Formats: sequence, C-alpha cells, structure tokens
Amino acid sequence: MGALETPTVVDPEVDETVETARPWVVVVWNDPVNLMSYVVYVFQKLFGYSREKATKLMLDVHHKGKAAVSSGNREQAETDVSRLHAHGLWATMERD
Amino acid sequence: MARVPFRRNRSAGYDVVLEAGEAAVLTRLCEELTTLLSGDDEPSDPSDPSDPSDPVLERLFPRAYLDPTEEEAEADWQRLVHDDLVDGRRRALATVEGTLAAAEVRRGRFELTLSEEQAQAWLAVLNDARLALGTRLEVTEDLDLSGLDPDDPDTAPYAVYWWLGVLEESLIDVLSG
Repeated sequence: MGALETPTVVDPEVDETVETARPWVVVVWNDPVNLMSYVVYVFQKLFGYSREKATKLMLDVHHKGKAAVSSGNREQAETDVSRLHAHGLWATMERD
Repeated sequence: MARVPFRRNRSAGYDVVLEAGEAAVLTRLCEELTTLLSGDDEPSDPSDPSDPSDPVLERLFPRAYLDPTEEEAEADWQRLVHDDLVDGRRRALATVEGTLAAAEVRRGRFELTLSEEQAQAWLAVLNDARLALGTRLEVTEDLDLSGLDPDDPDTAPYAVYWWLGVLEESLIDVLSG
C-alpha cells in the first residue's frame, strides 16, 4: 500500500478517457437466512470497516432491503461481489 | 440451550464439544452440500430456460449483474469466478469433515480443537448449510422457531436450522472477541 509506491504522473489527456473514479456500486440485499451478526462480521472482515460502520450497513440492509457497501471500477466491483458471494451474502453490482 | 458450543482456547484456537448426534447431523449436511456442489461443475446457462436450476445453487451462486443488458459481462464474470467459488466451498467442507473425523470422542461426545483457518472453514460451512436448509424450507424473517419439538419428524428440519444458527452465532461470537 501507498508508502513505497512511486508517485505516478497522470496525463490529463489520458485521464479524461477514464469514466468516473467509482462508477460501480456493490449492493448487498436483505435475505431471511443470514444472521445479523454474520453480516456485520463479513463486512468487517472483507472491507476492514469498523464495527460501527459494519453494523450501520447491516441495519440498512435489514430495514431498507439493501445497502451499497463498496464502490469502484468494474473490476473492483466484480471482485467485491465474488468475495461477498463466497461468504454467502446476496450481492449484485450496478452503475452508480 | 445453556451450553455455549464454541470457546476460545489458550493457544489462539477454538474448542467445540458436540454430542454424537450433532456431529452426525453436521457430517450428513457436509455430505449433502458436497453432493450438491459436485453436480455444479458446469456453470448453468441463465439464458437457457431448459436448464433446471436448483434454488439452493442459485442462492449460493447468485448473479453479479441484475441489469439484463450486462448479460455478456455476467457470463464473463461467471466464467472467471464460478469454479473458484465452488472450489472454495468444497475446501471448507473438506476441512470441516476432516476435523469431525479427527475429533477425540470421549463418553460419546466429540471434542474438537480448531485453528483460526479451520474455524473460518466451519463458519463458511455452517452459513452455507443454513442458506441451503433455509432455502429448501423457504424460511421467512417471521419464522418463529420457539417451542419446536426436536423429536417431531415434521419440524425436525426446522430444529436443525435453529441449531445451526445457535452454533454459528456462538462461533461468530468467539471469532469476533
């Protein structure tokens, strides 16, 4: 992470061709089986979220039916969706 | 249930004691899940209506894209990750079956000591088993499991579902602590 990386100079002309920085969001949907404590545990484990943030997201899923749990480019979102599926959470991705 | 199934031990591992009947139920669930996954070597084709999908497999391996215009991306993503997702579940099942087979049996009870990695496999399998059973039983959030008679064959699957939840909750508790 960060500290040892060489700073990269971004060519503004190239940068313009990139869509937006975080065009995809990963959504976790409510389901009647997964335990609330399990969902909090998975959010903390996969995304490094604090217990408070993970609990808030879990409650959003529970009460509102879904919550956006991460965002990024298409590849990052696909990776997060597959990690959530590996943990039995019902996740999908959509354009922001 | 007064007994707390999982406990953290002094050597950074986790201890669990199961009744012989409980260990037998877990072993059977592992076998059923392994069989279910072995029928899923080929990713199902969502565009093929003649492809009969098992609702449990659909729950364990959902789509990534809801948008029907992303069908190509969905197929690419399935090709990329599906086998790995199946393999990960198979490995976790093999770990749980291995720890159960290696358990020390004392006075008819199964005593297991799990490493962190093995405990993670147990969590994954307990959760998958609940997902599979919950999907088969078509449980809803309103499901009331109080007052179940474990000896009633009609409600036995619900008792197993409830018991899996107790086990999983206890494991999450020690893993989070």
